[in-house]
Amino acid sequence: MSKLWKVALREYKATVRTKGFIIGLVLAPILMGGGAIGMALFKDRVDTRDRTVAVVDRSGLLADVLVQAAEARNAQAVIHPESGEKLRPAYLIEVVQPHETARNAQLLELSRRVRRGELHAILEIGAGVLHPREQRETAAIAYYAENAALDEVRQWIGRPLNEELRRLRLIGAGIDPATIPDAFDWIYPESLGLVSVDPETGEIAYAHRSTELQALLLPLIPVMLMFLMIMMGASPLLQAVTEEKSQRIAEVMLGSVKPFQFMMGKLLGGVAVSLTAAAVYVVGGIVFVRRFEFGEYVPYEILPWFFAFMVAAVFMYGALGAALGSACNDATEAQSMALPSMLPVMIPLFVMMPVVLNPETAFATGLSLFPLFTPILMLLRQGTPGGIPLWQPWVGLFLVVLTAMLFVWAGSRIFRVGILMQGTPPKLGNLVRWAVRG
Amino acid sequence: MNAVEIDRVTKTFGKAVVAVDDLSLAVPAGTVYGFIGPNGSGKTTTLRMIMNILYPDCGSIRVFGGELHGACTDRIGYMPEERGLYKKMKVRELLEFYGGLKRNGDVRRAVSHWLERLDLADWASKKVEVLSKGMSQKVQFIATVVAGPDLVILDEPFTGLDPVNTDVIREVVLELQSAGTTVIFSTHDMGMAEKMCDFIFMIFKGKKVLDGTLESIQSEYGSDTIRVRAESDAGDIADIEGVEKVNNYGQYRELRVARDRDPHEILTAVMARTRVTSFEITKPSLHDIFVRIAGAEAREVSGV
Repeated sequence: MSKLWKVALREYKATVRTKGFIIGLVLAPILMGGGAIGMALFKDRVDTRDRTVAVVDRSGLLADVLVQAAEARNAQAVIHPESGEKLRPAYLIEVVQPHETARNAQLLELSRRVRRGELHAILEIGAGVLHPREQRETAAIAYYAENAALDEVRQWIGRPLNEELRRLRLIGAGIDPATIPDAFDWIYPESLGLVSVDPETGEIAYAHRSTELQALLLPLIPVMLMFLMIMMGASPLLQAVTEEKSQRIAEVMLGSVKPFQFMMGKLLGGVAVSLTAAAVYVVGGIVFVRRFEFGEYVPYEILPWFFAFMVAAVFMYGALGAALGSACNDATEAQSMALPSMLPVMIPLFVMMPVVLNPETAFATGLSLFPLFTPILMLLRQGTPGGIPLWQPWVGLFLVVLTAMLFVWAGSRIFRVGILMQGTPPKLGNLVRWAVRG
Repeated sequence: MNAVEIDRVTKTFGKAVVAVDDLSLAVPAGTVYGFIGPNGSGKTTTLRMIMNILYPDCGSIRVFGGELHGACTDRIGYMPEERGLYKKMKVRELLEFYGGLKRNGDVRRAVSHWLERLDLADWASKKVEVLSKGMSQKVQFIATVVAGPDLVILDEPFTGLDPVNTDVIREVVLELQSAGTTVIFSTHDMGMAEKMCDFIFMIFKGKKVLDGTLESIQSEYGSDTIRVRAESDAGDIADIEGVEKVNNYGQYRELRVARDRDPHEILTAVMARTRVTSFEITKPSLHDIFVRIAGAEAREVSGV
């Protein structure tokens, strides 16, 4: 067994055997999934206190309708029909006569009542709502509340108001609404995947309904896993190398192995650690989703790419970390280097949403071909329902491997100089000089 | 045959610091070679160059006849001045790892042997972080010799050891020598260097200032030292003509005699001033020679 493998094996054992690794292996998915589980658990924990809304109806057309609509809703949605448990708040409408001259004073007084907790909100309906095109100034409907933007009553109230207005407009045009009951029915376009031919039966196969889950969540899972694996395999190298330098282990090691073997061994150890963790998660994840019959959602075609990108990514970021670590003198300096060294991994996470929504734009393609971002962004785009042209991941992987090799080469040169250099701060100029001159 | 041949080696750091300046040195195989010199004089840099951890700017270093640059150092065991052990590893595991890096094949028997020899067998399955400073130093020593190297380089092997462990390490070093191993060690303990070394090499400001056996070094200076034990220390003897320097060690004083003066005359003058209970006319100690060369600069660091 060559020295490189001995160093790698020690590195691997030193990480994998620790309690921290095993606990982290179990905890990480719980923490990541914890948010979703928590939301599911607490979804029903709603505030069931009744909401009273004061309605100031200057049009004189809508207040009564609102009272009826609220009563109809309350009768249906508030109390669980069997258990009698109160599920949601009842909406109560308090009709307030509009004060013609002192509008502001009236609104202020009502606002005070909201602040005192007597009212939930104030709805002010303008006089001209029936014909907003002709009476633009008075056609507004205003909803005043302490947190109006996220208010569930506001979201509910728009529909009964506008349904009534439409009904009144038809009547005004001389049409009896009862003759065309579906005048305002709304049909949503269903989201579906593309149609293909089933290779076994030869028949046309319709894709299943594509859901938001599939479009947004599924591409994110391999990406989050990739992020986690980089965190496990590559980012500890910075601290570890600084520690070995400051504790003078590096000098003992360099008495036996060449700097390149030392660094490469550590990188291989990191790769082995992330492969181990990834294998646990991938196999565990597949078994788990199959058990719950979501097996069709497992992106098997992406798995080889995932592992290829992951290995290259750990080499690339790990070499960067080891080079920076060898230039730091103590834990404090290493700490301050930790964030900048992780930036290439963090930045792709910030642009994930635009990329996953429009995976084929020049912006998304370009960013995902930038080697430092490729492992995360290319994988993200590959996971989107439409997929991407096959040449892109190949080019991406090629560039990542090339960059990883460059980083390992430059990193080992910085490492060789930095690992014995005491007291020289890790300035960019020094790093570049060490990399160039060796 | 020489274990190490250093030929006109220079090593600079940056532009300003010349750590080792045109140094040549030959270490015969099977000898114990002591490196002395004040802190910062280039000892560690020289040792690191022999270890191939640092590369010389110019000149060549040959170990066992082979050019070193970029070559393998598996025949050399190196114990750096500051100890470097993986704290979370168990003692045996660590030694097997370090040994395995130098030697292919099984090092387990060698590890057991050395743990036994240095009285650490009970600690084999303990983690390094629980060891005392002296014990971890012994572990570091084992890590250096466990692979059975032909050349052992020890940078300050005795600092931090109690007298018992100092004796143990000293015995082991001499055992290694009698088994044919070449030993180079650096030390600030002049007494240890005098007792143990076949050859002594002193480096000062990157240059070689002494190189040879203790006797040959001392004979360069002649018998110019009088060690005097007097009844009372009331008499001031520093102003006696022909005395260059007086070192007061409390129990006795050492007088350095000027080159052209006869020690007997000086001794007579001393006896005229105070009652001498014992005296010795001798060659200067290594300590004294060290201080004469390094002078004021070394005074602070070597504790004179």
